[in-house]
Amino acid sequence: MYAVEFENITKSFGLLTVNDKVTFGVKENSVHCLLGENGAGKSTLMKILFGSYKQDSGTIKIRGKEVKFKSPLDAIDEKIGMLYQHFMLIDEFTIWENVVLGNEMNAGMKLDYKKIKYRLNEIIEIYNLGLDINKKICDISISQEQKVELLKLLYRNSDILIFDEPTAVLSPVEVNEFFKIIEKFKADGKTIIFITHKLNEVKELADRVSILRKGQLVYETDKADIDVQKLGKEIIGNVEVAESPAKISPNEENKKSFIELKDVTLIKDKVKVLDDITIDIRRYEIHGICGVEGNGQQELVDVILQFEKNISGTVMMKDERVSIVPDDRYKRGMIKEFTVGENLILKKPSEGLISKRTVDTASQYIMKKYDVRAPSAETPIGSLSGGNQQKAIIAREIEMQQNTMIFYHPTRGVDINATAFIHSEIVSLRNAGKAILLVSSDLDELLKLSDRLSVMHKGRLIKTFDETELSSGNRNNLLEQIGKLMIGIH
Amino acid sequence: MFSRTSIQTKANIISISLSLAATFIITALLIILIGKNPIEVFGNMFSEVFLSGYGIGQTLFKTTPLIICGCGLAFCFHASIFNIGAEGQLNAGAFAMSLIALKLGAFPWYISIIICIVVAFGVSALFGLIPAIIKIKKDVSEVITTIMMNFIIMALINYFLVDFFAVKSTMHTEKIPEDMMLMKFSSITSFFQGSSLNISFIIALALAVISYIVIYKTKFGYEIRAVGFNPSASKYIGLSPDKIIIITFIIGAGITSLTGLNFIMGYKGFYEYGFSNNVGFTAIAVALLARNNPIGIIFSALLFGVLDSGGLAVNEIVPKEIVLVVQGVIILTILSINTIVDKKFNIAK
Ligand SMILES: Nc1ncnc2c1ncn2[C@@H]1O[C@H](COP(=O)(O)OP(=O)(O)O)[C@@H](O)[C@H]1O
Ligand SMILES: [Mg+2]
Repeated sequence: MYAVEFENITKSFGLLTVNDKVTFGVKENSVHCLLGENGAGKSTLMKILFGSYKQDSGTIKIRGKEVKFKSPLDAIDEKIGMLYQHFMLIDEFTIWENVVLGNEMNAGMKLDYKKIKYRLNEIIEIYNLGLDINKKICDISISQEQKVELLKLLYRNSDILIFDEPTAVLSPVEVNEFFKIIEKFKADGKTIIFITHKLNEVKELADRVSILRKGQLVYETDKADIDVQKLGKEIIGNVEVAESPAKISPNEENKKSFIELKDVTLIKDKVKVLDDITIDIRRYEIHGICGVEGNGQQELVDVILQFEKNISGTVMMKDERVSIVPDDRYKRGMIKEFTVGENLILKKPSEGLISKRTVDTASQYIMKKYDVRAPSAETPIGSLSGGNQQKAIIAREIEMQQNTMIFYHPTRGVDINATAFIHSEIVSLRNAGKAILLVSSDLDELLKLSDRLSVMHKGRLIKTFDETELSSGNRNNLLEQIGKLMIGIH
Repeated sequence: MFSRTSIQTKANIISISLSLAATFIITALLIILIGKNPIEVFGNMFSEVFLSGYGIGQTLFKTTPLIICGCGLAFCFHASIFNIGAEGQLNAGAFAMSLIALKLGAFPWYISIIICIVVAFGVSALFGLIPAIIKIKKDVSEVITTIMMNFIIMALINYFLVDFFAVKSTMHTEKIPEDMMLMKFSSITSFFQGSSLNISFIIALALAVISYIVIYKTKFGYEIRAVGFNPSASKYIGLSPDKIIIITFIIGAGITSLTGLNFIMGYKGFYEYGFSNNVGFTAIAVALLARNNPIGIIFSALLFGVLDSGGLAVNEIVPKEIVLVVQGVIILTILSINTIVDKKFNIAK
């Protein structure tokens, strides 16, 4: 019995066909992984299922019955729930207010707060979500925000759950927690459609896998036959993944520091968010920072960008300006209503009148040079797929040609191909003599790229591994040591 | 109406035509409901507004302040500054304009006019600076501060007028010298039959074009809109949102002062309490209707100008307040139809 059946779903935006006769079924009470490069059309297909977009042709069946959703409300009526890539929560409201907000189950006007809160706490307990429903959204972490979105779905008794890249924003520990929750969902009889870029996650979770490439369904397999290498190949098709160039090692005297922080402490709301930080970022080096989200990484970046004024200690910088690729591209990385070219214009010194030609040329230049795929130069950057947005942001920052660059989660939610491209760009920049700070929670990425690696915990840099420590010794031992340091065990 | 992509333009034109049609029908029904003939009402309105030179002149005269004030607000709204205080800001500037004009007898007229504009702009801008600073430093919404400033400014003007500057037993200042008055169209051609339309209208059109260029074609305009869309991203991109908000608030508020040109320097020759007739509020609707596009504002201001002068024409048949109803219905229909049409065209918000 299928919970969901897609039959010949086709959808175009202008000239671009994003879903091309997609046909597959999702078995009831299974975990179905949907894979594909950025821009393959996964989110679009899910939005069609959820009633946010309407397909140009093709039919969708839910539990065997054809449906025609006019809006997400119709999908919710069919007990379909969607965990968006970007959360839709109101910062100033508490968790329980956000859950209750706009929930048609409360149509009876009068809200029985006690009952609602009781029910919410019950759900939190069952699924081990660890939320305090009286906290405001602005006071909780991203991973908790995600759990609030989950709570919303559960409160509505959703039966078919769509997760669009849920683990992209999570640290390794949090990913494991998330998997446990999914397993519990399955045990409770729910159906899960799961979109991710991390193939190891797929092997662990999926009952069945479908792969979209350029809008077409190209490959399907069952749990027993999942082969991670094969999946990787099918996702990309017949193209070569960019290899990062080899690191070149200049003379020691060339490794001048471009940024030096000495004994920097920052206190916010009486908490030491940065505690006696001493670090230097040198040219011809990638200095990695690893740590569990929320241990002072954001503050460290903000200090270097000079957004934090009330610090003690000294900060020395070679240049006034530093390029930054921020962690959250939606909130901080781009003006999503602007085109790629317009986002670039914002960074340049003003040059009199700016014509549409100038802007479009800038868009096209970046699209071509950095292989950013968009329907046209006039497409707002917000409607590109995640990986293309990230490439565009990185392209913009590289084009500014600053001496110092910060990459904060540069490949979060980005597919294999784009990740390889971004890694190779970062290494090229290093080889060209830039000083690079790489903040990430992806250990593979950090170990692959870093020349030195510092571990951050509760606002302190508790250990810095130098080049020899990183390159010699057993990788597994190193991973274990870093993992322990990340949670504060020395 | 004048957005970048052709889909957006098409959607805008469709939604505006649909809402005008809907407004027409709703208003006609209302008129029937109060027992009058809608054809007669619309007919009178049309012939009054469009069929005489005087009517056309008066309509454009009423359109002028809406264009000016709408442009000022467009700057603010693009930066997501919800300036509800244009009414106060423009009165402060206009009052200052009339007072300074009285002191400038010795200069040639063109220098006097420039001084008047600069002073008025500065005074209005100051009343934009205050809420801007409170917003930045104390995080108080400008909606609240600008509304309150309206009351304060109007009370202060009232006080200064009554106690110091008003001609006895009136609520207006003394008349400025005749040679400082802006030229009326009716003195150039008899077509406008003595209507009050004056050079301010041309100034307003020029202002709209300049505003359009600044907002859409300069780096500064991109910065204003970027901050309006997403202040925290703007900060990481390397802009300074606080600075941009302050400058935009000053410019927006300053522009509203030029509203005074039309009435003071182009028509009566003095500042009169209440002269603005809520232009500062109507202009909010004018700007929103045009999606804050200054060229669009010319047309939405014209629409409100037509209704305003048409209202007087039908006063004998239906209460002229019908015009307010029409204005309200237009705004509601445009806003609601906009959303529907955008959705049909898949325009993401
Ligand atoms: N509203 C839209 N308008 C125009 N193009 C869009 C829109 N939404 C998505 N696209 C385009 O459709 C393609 C597929 O996007 P998406 O479904 O988000 O991919 P995925 O989720 O697989 O990364 C991308 O090239 C994207 O730019
Ligand atoms: Mg997606």
